[in-house]
Amino acid sequence: MNFLNTVRIDLMKMRRSAAVWLSILGAGVIPLIFFLMYIAKPAKFYIESQQMGWLAHITRSWQSFASFLLPMFVILICSLILQIEYKNNTWKQVFASPVSVSQVFFSKLVTIVLMTLLLMLMFNIFDILAAIVPNLFYPKYGFLNHAIDWGALLKLNTKTFISLLGIISLQYWLSLRFRNFIVPIGIGLGLLIICMVALNWEHSDKLPYAFPLLTLMHSFEGKPSGSSFFFNHELNSIAYFLVFTLLAFLDLRFRKERG
Amino acid sequence: MVNEPIVRTQDLNYSYAAGTPTLQQVNLVVPKGSIYGFLGPNGAGKTTTLRLLLGLLKNQQGSLEIFGQKFPGQRLDILSRIGSLIEQPSLYGHLTATENLEIYRRIYQVDQSRIATVLQLVGLQDTGRKKARQFSLGMKQRLSIAIALLHQPELLILDEPTNGLDPNGIIETRELIKKLNREHNTTVLVSSHILNEVERMATHVGIIHKGKMLFQGTLPELQQMKTKQAALEIETADNARAASLLVSQYAVQETETQLVLPYQSKEETAAINRLLVQAGIDVYAIHARQNDLEQLFIDITSNN
Repeated sequence: MNFLNTVRIDLMKMRRSAAVWLSILGAGVIPLIFFLMYIAKPAKFYIESQQMGWLAHITRSWQSFASFLLPMFVILICSLILQIEYKNNTWKQVFASPVSVSQVFFSKLVTIVLMTLLLMLMFNIFDILAAIVPNLFYPKYGFLNHAIDWGALLKLNTKTFISLLGIISLQYWLSLRFRNFIVPIGIGLGLLIICMVALNWEHSDKLPYAFPLLTLMHSFEGKPSGSSFFFNHELNSIAYFLVFTLLAFLDLRFRKERG
Repeated sequence: MVNEPIVRTQDLNYSYAAGTPTLQQVNLVVPKGSIYGFLGPNGAGKTTTLRLLLGLLKNQQGSLEIFGQKFPGQRLDILSRIGSLIEQPSLYGHLTATENLEIYRRIYQVDQSRIATVLQLVGLQDTGRKKARQFSLGMKQRLSIAIALLHQPELLILDEPTNGLDPNGIIETRELIKKLNREHNTTVLVSSHILNEVERMATHVGIIHKGKMLFQGTLPELQQMKTKQAALEIETADNARAASLLVSQYAVQETETQLVLPYQSKEETAAINRLLVQAGIDVYAIHARQNDLEQLFIDITSNN
């Protein structure tokens, strides 16, 4: 059976599942807060929006989102997707069907990546709406007079996604390893907090859970990433992703008991 | 060849923890076209054996052959020809019956019409938008059977398929298994801890206890053992004297109220009666106790 078919099957299992709701509704939390702020106290933000346009809004909303909520949602998405099989006792049926272990493994990983992308896409949509809709009611806002810098936004999204890869691979492994979903979520949130506390440490570019925030900080500080498109920690994120994915795969492949 | 084995294991050993073997030298032979009742009390090693067959457990020792193919190499090919139901139902609770089947339809790549067919077959055609988690245990079990049947497998491995079913459901499942076997020549390997159940549908029986195979053969062979184990019960005015009289010729066991001898034939029974009466012992009752399979099962499993 081809791999795309396996992925499609995994996506079918996501129908009505908590992971999908989290990706959609979770993405709306921060934009909703900004929306309410803009509606409630328009006068406070008029001048800023007229002068700086989207930059002020996007900087602020991304700071709230990418620093903590985004990695936390990724931790939850990984667990929720694998819990579908654990909770329903369906691993055994999955492994007793004619699908190779590598297809099962990579299809789930692709599903997690797709859900993460859905989460980020929904956040962008909500985030832009959170500024446009108030502007329709209060014409003094300056958002509609400014163009969105789509190039910069796409770059920010791409780099943020890459900075999440390390977390995704480690959380995937943990969620695959432990039937009890408290374990990966507990470890994930613990590491996230530790890495955030250690943000100013000189080796913070080696702490996977700090990567999304580092990307955000460096992007807005306008810190040059040297000759390449990527910051150091983003390259590290890719390296972590490759290593943890390989380890997770070997762990599943050579497991004595599956399902 | 009718009797060519579909499943054959040789000296299968398995232990979850070192020093406590779960399976010991299990040699399972499931002939093609049979309904093989895999019988044993809870914890005997039935599920472990079935999980090994499906590759859910990594084989530790011994060999394993399905459709004449060795397991590790031909895993996917073998699995595509097997339908299985292991232990409790495994269904996606947030999906409907049709959606659950759709997942497996895509995995096995069978025609869309099969979904309606198997739903009809297990009597779940009217569940509509109801989610699987809202199903009763019996309905879940039936949906699991539907999934196992979806791709018309040559071999059906069912682990305690009637668990949680009401009496009607048990009968229906049994009839379904027989029908599949009869009409589609599906080989069925079905485990159970209820002998009665197996006796009513199986053509072949394997009895496992504490990880060891105690018996394997056809149902008639099992029933033959049953007559072998039948007993003659005698109640007399003086059991002790009667026992001393018979002990030279028969393997007499004396219980509180009666004597128990191995049953041989009607004529033998009459001869024993005559012997006792001639010795002046009053015979109150004498009758052959047909050892039913249930008793035999208990006998077999408690002797070890």
